[in-house]
Formats: sequence, structure tokens, C-alpha cells
Amino acid sequence: MYGGDEVSAIVVDLGFHTCKAGYAGEDAPKAVFPSEVGSIDQMEVDDTDKSDKNSGSALDSKSKGKRKLYVGSQDMGFRRDHMEVLSPIKDGIVVDWDMVENIWDHALSSYKLNIIYLTCYGAISVPPPNIKLKILLTGRKCLLIDPKEHPMLLAEPCFNTQLQREKSAEIMFEKYQVPALFLAKNAVLTSFASGRATSLVVDSGGGSTTVAPVHDGYVLQKAVATSPVGGEFLTDCLLKSLEHKGLPIKPRYAFKRKEIRPGEFQVVDLDFPNTTESYKLYSQRVIVGDIKECVCRVPDTPYDETSYSNIPMTPYELPDGQTIEIGADRFKIPDVLFNPSLVQTIPGMENSLETLSFVRGLPQMVIESINKCDVDIRRELFSSILLAGGTASMQQLKERLEKDLLEETPQAARVKVLASGNATERRFRVPLVYYNCNRFRLMLETNLSVNTAFGSVGAYWHLLVPSSKCGSPSLSEFSCLSPHALLLQIYIYSRFINLYAVVMTGMKSMELLISNANAPNMLSCSTY
Amino acid sequence: MEQVAVVDVGSKVLKFNHALPEIGPMVIPTQMKQVPEDGSSADAFLLENKTVDPVIRGFISDWDAMEDLLKHVFYTGLGWEMGNEGQVLFTDPLSTPKAIREQLVQMMFENFNMSGFYASEQAVLSLYAVGRISGCTVDIGHGKTDIASVIEGAVQHISSRRFEIGGMDLTILFAQELGKSYPLMNLSFSECEKLKERYACCAEDAASYDQFQQSCPEEQHTLPDGQVIKIGRARYTVGEALFQPSILNLEAHGIVEQLVRCISTVSSENHRQLLENTVLCGGSASMTGFEDRFQKEANICSSAIRPCLVKPPEYMPDNLLKYSAWVGGAILAKVVFPQNQHVTKADYDETGPSIVHRKCF
Repeated sequence: MYGGDEVSAIVVDLGFHTCKAGYAGEDAPKAVFPSEVGSIDQMEVDDTDKSDKNSGSALDSKSKGKRKLYVGSQDMGFRRDHMEVLSPIKDGIVVDWDMVENIWDHALSSYKLNIIYLTCYGAISVPPPNIKLKILLTGRKCLLIDPKEHPMLLAEPCFNTQLQREKSAEIMFEKYQVPALFLAKNAVLTSFASGRATSLVVDSGGGSTTVAPVHDGYVLQKAVATSPVGGEFLTDCLLKSLEHKGLPIKPRYAFKRKEIRPGEFQVVDLDFPNTTESYKLYSQRVIVGDIKECVCRVPDTPYDETSYSNIPMTPYELPDGQTIEIGADRFKIPDVLFNPSLVQTIPGMENSLETLSFVRGLPQMVIESINKCDVDIRRELFSSILLAGGTASMQQLKERLEKDLLEETPQAARVKVLASGNATERRFRVPLVYYNCNRFRLMLETNLSVNTAFGSVGAYWHLLVPSSKCGSPSLSEFSCLSPHALLLQIYIYSRFINLYAVVMTGMKSMELLISNANAPNMLSCSTY
Repeated sequence: MEQVAVVDVGSKVLKFNHALPEIGPMVIPTQMKQVPEDGSSADAFLLENKTVDPVIRGFISDWDAMEDLLKHVFYTGLGWEMGNEGQVLFTDPLSTPKAIREQLVQMMFENFNMSGFYASEQAVLSLYAVGRISGCTVDIGHGKTDIASVIEGAVQHISSRRFEIGGMDLTILFAQELGKSYPLMNLSFSECEKLKERYACCAEDAASYDQFQQSCPEEQHTLPDGQVIKIGRARYTVGEALFQPSILNLEAHGIVEQLVRCISTVSSENHRQLLENTVLCGGSASMTGFEDRFQKEANICSSAIRPCLVKPPEYMPDNLLKYSAWVGGAILAKVVFPQNQHVTKADYDETGPSIVHRKCF
């Protein structure tokens, strides 16, 4: 039964840069690791022994060749020959579902007692040397839960397509056999995490920046604005800028410290010729990302070369002991968010935004988004602008955004930008709070097998994008994948005022608490 | 005054005692032997050599066996009477699934009729034992190794990691190494463990380890059956395995490097506080030369701030680091129970097992 207050649901948020997973009701996710995945193509390396040792990574047997995937910061942190770093998400949409499955595996996964010892525990005769010791790192799995027992909440981007949703649901139900699933949009979760049902969510994450207005718990799809300028983009800018200045960033694996005399150390360069470029770039990005987080701040006024040429430099110590000084870049890089044309001045990055010449700065996106909404709610949106995402926790971003917006909207609109005080909260969006909020009792999609004359089939609903009339609360339309007439499952997404609990009890019996299952339109009318 | 017991369940040994930090815990092995109940001779033969491990890799997996073990602990070991149980504090390893915690609470209140319960993470307790509330712990146990960072008494899960390597794996490695020189030898697992505990040590650094691979001093040991064996390289191999996991056929960095990488995910204001208060605890960390080697590796690691090991206070018993989680639990018990911050029977009856997540951090 999943209608109770104490539901230990799991919340998974797969972003471009990091994947966050945790229990509902907690204030921080338990598992946070990079979404990028290391992959070694098995075609070149034909080593059957390896497959025994690495249990945590799945052996992918696609028709075009096998590859081994490594997920998680521990595995990614270890340099391997020929390991390419790939990302399953491109432009916000998942392109490689296999990788996503592996990522979810890593985050969730049941605790398997994988102790393959060579003999039983009681007595071991000393094993012959040709049997390798098998130690399986099931400890890599972060949450150590059995997905069958926990309802799942997946956070998805605002512009997610129908196909993506269906595929997520398919994997969740078929592979993990979750009892119940809910797909929620990032913007809505952020909004609820701050206690509001209506707000404008500015989500500046790793891969992109999205501005989405949320009204009464629904995202107004037509008014969503996105821009490819995100945390990774800024990191790349900083990396190129530092390289241009002659400060090479050595990845962590490329050096070693040796003690030549007691108390004196020397850094020795290590060379690994088989390391791929993508891995080197990944390792460098990790370091530069840290520089960016420590040192960069958003300037109070738009950046221009002359006024910032004389500011004092800030030192930063790299992992190999080298100290670098960062001056104007501290302010230039974050200003790219507000003024993307600045990118032209960064050597090495001039070409990246060429194709997207219409990329706007953050304040322009906000205004554009609000202007697309209904006139009535604009005021409310202006006064509750929420900042979310890793990049949005940059210092001074809130103040600068407020200032810029006040300049552009001279009318009586009261502009208020809100950001959670806790940097962790902002970063991880806190969808966890949402789920366990007592005011919501959601009916979750349940994994129901509908027994029909054609055999049992899993029937499940999907939440479609509500048909949006700009600004007005729209009716949600629900459609079922399975065209069976015996649809006994209802999915009601209640607004925070009404409490509805339609509890589906799983395989055995179905209880209809709302009379008319076959008339979804009537249902949605009744909730308004 | 209610009696308060502190129980630290490990994969190999279970530490328990009343909450008196000065005295230290009583230690019993967790491995149990299954004895047939009805005593029928047909079954007895088959079940005689079956050992049961209720705790695997740090987590309780066999609940019935655990119940029997705890019955022994409370009624025989501590001398409590049935019906007059006191309050108990349990320790949890890192990343304990919620379900296990809830089941433990349930067992305590329903099967054992405890009057109070509290559970805390081992990392936090180890820090309390050395008198700190923030720092890192590197807990190398029998079944698992935890690297945890704690800030102001709260474990930062994002920068903590759990590895399923532990003393158990080192013992098997030791057995393998011995097997190379004595292929026909037949040693039981516990024999191997004893040998490992006695002879394993760490080389001073990687260079001297390589030297030892060529030639090293050998120790002679007499087995119970009279055989005399020489233990040479195997000693150092075991010690080196945690610093170079490639010996265990794992693709991972050594333990110091892992610690540094974990900490790097925390915001840099806290780095100094964390790394300078590093606590090495757990059974396997008491290997000869391990601490020195750890400190040495820490000096050459790739980080601005070097990890620095904490010395336990003088008023604590000597083998503190081996049982630090228990000692920390005893210290915490003196604070939590008198202030009624624990889960009482009434709370449990009212809310159910999930109360443990709300009241115990």
C-alpha cells in the first residue's frame, strides 16, 4: 500500500553533470556522482579475465561490439587505458539508454551477497595460484536498496519528450520492477521545494540553463526558455583561458610526488600514452570545475576589459602543488551567463556559440519567458523567481540578476529573486522534500499486470504535457499506453489543496475509489 | 537507573558491554555454529560443520541467527533478566539501508522488549572516541572499509565511501601467498587469520616493498600439527594490499588517495578541518607499521592539505582504535539516554519502526 505518510520512496535526478539519488524526506541526496560514464571498447581489448573482476560494470553486448562501462566517481577517478568518457545526455535529452541503465544500477541496486570465495567459509585449503582472487566491489552501488520495494520518483527536464518518458517508465517497470513510479519535472520540484506552487524557476545546471514558469504546479510549456550556457560551458571557458595564459592543468593521474630527501618533495610527471583525450579532458574539467567554484564570482556590473584589468589576483593551489593566480577571469567567466557574446573574447572558444547566435543572457531569458505568460500571473512570477542548480549557487548571482531585472522592468513589478540559503539545497534541488510533503498524496503509477485474453500485459499511464493555454491552469490529459479496455488504473495528480488517495493495491486487486475509470475527462474536471 | 548497553556488531566480532567507556568492550566472535534442535542423529551429522555468519560485509543479513546471538549477549553476557531489559545503543556502518535499521529496531522492541533504543553511525562514534566532532574516519574492518567525513556530528554522505575490502580479503590473500610456497598445506580459515594477525606488517614505503619482494627476512612458525613453515614475502604483501589494491586485482587507488579524493568533493572551507583530524580505526588498521605507512603516504599524496592522523587522548584505553566505534557509543550513550533523546517503547508503539530515521541520526 502506498498511500501512507511514511513511504520510503527513492528520488533519482539524472542531470547532465551529476546524478543525484536519495531517500524521500531527507534534506540531501545520499548518492551524488558524475553522470559521465567511462567506456572501454571490448573489440580492441580482448581479455576475458577482466570480465570476472569487475562486477560493478555491466558487460554491454550490443551488436556493434562489446563495451565495458564504468560508473561512479570512484571508477571514473581511476585511469584506465583506452577508456573514453561519454555522456548519455545530449542537449538535455537522453541518447544512450544503456548508459542510463548502468547509472541507475549504480545508484540503486540491491545489496547482493556477492561473496564468491573459492571454497566455503569454514575451511579453506590453500587455493592453487591459478584461480584468481575475486573480490567484487558491490560497494560501488550507492543506495543499496532493492528497487522492488520502493516507489520511485524520477526528475525529468521540462522539455522531455513523450518517447523519453515512455522509455524511462519502461526501464523502471520492466528492469527494476518498481512498485510505483512518478515522473516529475525539475521546475515543479524546485518550486515545491521552496514551498510555492507558482514561481519562475531559473535552473542553471551543468549542461544548460532553463527558465521555466510554474503555475499552480504545472509548467507552462510554451514559455520555457533554454540556453546551452551551463556549468560545463563555463568550465570549458575557464580551461581554455588558463591554457592560453600558459597555465597548463595537469590531471591528477599525470604526476606523482616523490620524497627525495626527508621533508623535501618533488613532483614527477607520469606519462600514460594510452589515455584517451576524453579522459584527460574529463580529469582537467574536474580540477577546473573546482577552481571555478572556489574562485569565480559574478561581477556587479557587466564585465569590460579595462575596468577589470587591475584587480588583485587570487591564488589557487592545484593538486600537484603548483599555485596559480587568477585575476580578471574570476569575473569574466561568470559574466558569460549574462552576456554570452563575451565568449568571443576568450581565445579558443570563439567558435562554440556560432551556430547559436540567438543565445540570450540570463535576464533576457527571464523577461522573455515571463512575457510569454498570461498577463495576470506575470506579477506573481516576478516576485518569486527561484534559483536552482549548481551554477546558480555562484556567489553574487542572485544580486546581479535582481539588479539586471529591475533595470529592464521599470514598471511597478516587484522583482524578487530567491535562492535557498543552503548551498547544498540549491545544488541538489531538494525534490526529496516534495515527495514526503504531507499535503500531497499522489496516486502513483503502479505496475499492474492486466490479465486479458491476450495474456498479461503491464499497463501503465503516462503523464502528458498538459495542454497549455498560456497562464491558465490546464487540464491534464492522461492516456494509457495499453489500449486495453480493462483499464482499471487511475492516475490522479492532485493539486496541493485537494487530497486524493486512490490506492492501487497491486497485482491482486484493484480498488476503484473514483467511480468512473473510463472517463478521464470527467475526472480532471472534477478536480478543478 | 536503567541499564544501558552498547553493542557494536561487526562482521567478525561483536563488541558489547554496559556503557562504561573506561572499561572497554567485551568481545565475542559473530560467527556461529548451527546446532540441530531436536538432536536427531540423522540431521546432526550434516549440520555439524555448518557455520553461520549473521553479519556479512558489515550489514546484518541473517536475522534469526542475529537474534540468537543477541539473546546470548543480553541475557548471558550482560546478565540481564528477561522482562527487565534496559536500553541499548547500536552502531551502524556507513550507507546502511533504511530497511536494515528498521528491522533492527523492530527486533529490539518486539523480540527483546527493550525499553529504549538508539542507533548511530560508526564514523561519528569513532570521532567521539578521540574527542572530536568533525574529521574523517578510515575504518578498516573485517568485511568492509569505510571512508567517511563528518562535520559537526553529521556524516556527509556525498563525500563518504564504502569499500567491500576488509580483513577477510586480506586473509584470503595471505592464504594464497602462503599457498605459493607451500602448495600442499591445508589451513583452516581461522588459522590463517591468526597467522595474519600475528605476522602481517606494512613496508615502510613503496620502494622498500619492492625490495622486500626480492628478499626479505623470514619468520618461522610452528603449526599446531607440528609443521614448521617460513613466512616471508606474504607478510608484506598483505600489508601492501590496502595501499596498492592492484595486488587484490582491483582497479582502484590506494587508501590514502581514496581519502583525499573523497574529501575533495566537500567544499574547501572544511578541508583543513577534515583532513587534519583523520582517525584510523578498525581491526585491520592495527597492523604493524600501518599507521606509519599511512602517514608517509599522506605526505606524498596529491592534495594541498595533508591528512594528519589523530592521536587518541591519554585517558582512553590502549587499544582504543580497534574498538573506537564501541567507545564512542559508550560516550554517546551517556548523553543521549539521560536526555531522553532516544526511541522509547511508547514512541515505537505509536509510530512504528520508521521512527528510527527521525530520532536517530
